[in-house]
Amino acid sequence: MGKMIYSIIKASEEPTQITEVLSGLRGISGANLEFVQCADIIAVTCSAERKEVVADRSNTLDYAGVIDELSKTCTLLPVRFGSVMESEDDILKMLERNYQGIQNNLDKVEGKVEFGLKVFCDTEKLKSRPEIFGEENIKIFDKPPGRQNNSVYLDYVNKKLIEYRIEEALLLFVNSVIKEITDCCISVGANGKFRKMVNQNNIIDALFLVERSKTNGLIGVVKELQVKYPDLDFILTGPWPPYNFVDITIS
Amino acid sequence: MNENVIDRSRDITILEVLDRVLNKGVILTGDIVISVADVDLIYLGVKLMLSSVETMEKLKAGKH
Repeated sequence: MGKMIYSIIKASEEPTQITEVLSGLRGISGANLEFVQCADIIAVTCSAERKEVVADRSNTLDYAGVIDELSKTCTLLPVRFGSVMESEDDILKMLERNYQGIQNNLDKVEGKVEFGLKVFCDTEKLKSRPEIFGEENIKIFDKPPGRQNNSVYLDYVNKKLIEYRIEEALLLFVNSVIKEITDCCISVGANGKFRKMVNQNNIIDALFLVERSKTNGLIGVVKELQVKYPDLDFILTGPWPPYNFVDITIS
Repeated sequence: MNENVIDRSRDITILEVLDRVLNKGVILTGDIVISVADVDLIYLGVKLMLSSVETMEKLKAGKH
């Protein structure tokens, strides 16, 4: 029987209080939660057979539920699903070996929550907007260059040229939106990470780490951005535990 | 907002949950044991979803 680790939390409570918190929660398959403490950091665990760690609907949601509940009262680092160690001793040694890195990460996320922001657009609709693509480009999009006696090769080059111009203009636009999002987020102290052009419709995939007390400020910022960019769709999810702002790999 | 629209938003939320639980967080190399089963999409029910009605309508239509 191994020990599955859900998260590593900052021990601001007495051990008896931690026990009380954990007794109100159930792990995957209804397992009782336990903990392993090393100074002021605690690994929340449960007993698990390796063969039981199946990423099905029930287990993954139970797992996420435990982390979500703990994050409401504790500063924590979520641990990736399926992290199983042989024994409590192994976990204790792991915490001791990585104490400083864990502490640094806990300090970074203390009192903060994560939000995800996805920005979608209809590229075809945007292609008619001169302020985004430029008058000259739009004329080309409307009337693709081509003569009746064009070779298939020239047609192909022209098609590729148009695609390149669309992509180039869209990227400039995306960069300007990201800059605007970043500028707006300064007011709520949100630290952001951005991925551009995830696919044709999902032009921005952003993650924010923000003080829990400034959650409403971030929501307000996104609402304002939605009003300013009616052709784009902003979808904000959260608050999440800080899954994407943990920077530690333990070997 | 009708039930179909809400269902679609639930799908997006559960995908966000799974992406985080399975791919993010503290990584213990060499100790990961995962068997992937058929993961159905359901709603965790604890997350905030903020979006315009227009977005939800588009999602409902399967535009994205």
